[in-house]
Amino acid sequence: MSIEVKDLSFFYNKGTSLEKKALDKVSFSIVKGEFVLITGEVGSGKSTLIRHLNGLLKPHSGSVKVSGINSTNRELRSKIGLLMQYPQRQLFGKTVFEDVAFGPSNFGLKDDELKERVNESLLLAGLCRDIADISPFSLSGGQMRLVALAGVLSMRPEYLILDEPTSGLDPENKASLFSTLKKLQTTGISVIIVSHQIDDFLPFANKVLFLKNGCVDFIGSPEEYLQSVSSPIPELTSLMKELQNCGFEVASDIYSVEDAFNEITRVLGSKEVYKDE
Amino acid sequence: MNDLFLSFVPGKSFLHRLDPRTKVLGLMAVSFCILKVSSFEIMALMAIIFAILVIACHLPFLHFVRSVRPMLPFFTFIFLMQLLFTEGTHLFDFGLLKGTYEGFLLGSILALRFIFLILFAALITATTSPSGITSGIERLLRPLPLKYLGISSHDLAMMMSLSLYFVPMLFDSFRDLRDAQISRGLDIRKEPVKAIMSLTVPLVRMALRSVDEVALAMESRCYTGEGRSSMYVLEFRSLDYALLVFYCVLLFLLYI
Repeated sequence: MSIEVKDLSFFYNKGTSLEKKALDKVSFSIVKGEFVLITGEVGSGKSTLIRHLNGLLKPHSGSVKVSGINSTNRELRSKIGLLMQYPQRQLFGKTVFEDVAFGPSNFGLKDDELKERVNESLLLAGLCRDIADISPFSLSGGQMRLVALAGVLSMRPEYLILDEPTSGLDPENKASLFSTLKKLQTTGISVIIVSHQIDDFLPFANKVLFLKNGCVDFIGSPEEYLQSVSSPIPELTSLMKELQNCGFEVASDIYSVEDAFNEITRVLGSKEVYKDE
Repeated sequence: MNDLFLSFVPGKSFLHRLDPRTKVLGLMAVSFCILKVSSFEIMALMAIIFAILVIACHLPFLHFVRSVRPMLPFFTFIFLMQLLFTEGTHLFDFGLLKGTYEGFLLGSILALRFIFLILFAALITATTSPSGITSGIERLLRPLPLKYLGISSHDLAMMMSLSLYFVPMLFDSFRDLRDAQISRGLDIRKEPVKAIMSLTVPLVRMALRSVDEVALAMESRCYTGEGRSSMYVLEFRSLDYALLVFYCVLLFLLYI
């Protein structure tokens, strides 16, 4: 099972004087289990692209297929979970339970199975079960966002698309989100992240897609991404490049704290071992 | 991304350059015409005038189609009510209900009236910036003795333009919410009640929050309402005076 995007083009206000091209012949594929980071400037078509992946928008030309089926098929919606930007705004339930159960109950889940599903996704999102009975509006903004994430996870998607999941999150909730992402990686779910925060997400990614003016400017592994000079690079990579310029013999294609630590201790001849907190 | 409902389309046409007061008064004059007259000939004349104005201002017709579209179910309802419940010459049977020729005429006129009211209002909002509308309405209301009733003409105008500003914003929010809930498997057609709950609750929350934010933003910039000068100094030109005379003549002819 994979997502195949082929020659996808899309226009806003098609057929009016305000017509604007949002996507221009975008082609790529996502294999199940991959962690994909989609990045690019504001207005480069990122949000438009992900709205095609779960069929909210129909391509004006080209196609988006999920294991051979057109993405506009409603049954695929439970398989491709989409969490929009500022998802805390979409909450409406009287209780957290009601809100998280919204997705799976729309796909016919009931009673005990539904309860189990809600508990499972609350835990997966890094929340405790006790909050299921309180109103989502009594929670903090960061926790509300995690509830919204649980609301998408509860459909047990095979692909999870997150639009700028870290914007406006405090460090604590961010850590909670990252540990959820790590857990998800082990379950075989494909995670597709749309973000400007390449520092945050490059360490997770196996594939990077860089959009520019609605076209695919770059697609490849994170290492290859760092080689393509035109794109913005993480701060760690710039640090390693600076160290290289100062005469230290360190590799510069480094973008995770662990790799940077190991590389620097190696050059310094220290035997310290990196401990992830 | 760009919802065009009642929004401003920047431009340099003669309607854009007219004084906002002239345009607001013009809209009122046209509204009186539309509500007073009930002949198809005048409606056709209205359509022609409207088309000429739109073409002269280089505005896209689609913009206006979109302005009317959300209200179409309402207009259809009015039309059907008149068609089926007016006494007169028998036209056709629709179950127990009978369509009449008189009802058809009455329904069409009523629906057309509403459509033209919206179209002309959309023409004004498309060619006048929101701040232009505010200052125009404010100047028009200023001579009225409203302040003895505890109402300030400036506040009234500000409220009107803020509501106009919120319309496209609410549409944007609504679209995002609809997308989010559809992504969670909501089937709007099959479960309308569920859809209404899951869409209105967050929409109202969001609207109230944005209103609070706008109020705070205005306060933090020391907005007090009264005694505020305007960036746009309104000035009548000869065309404005000519049009005002024209309105007076028009209304005089209509009501005498």
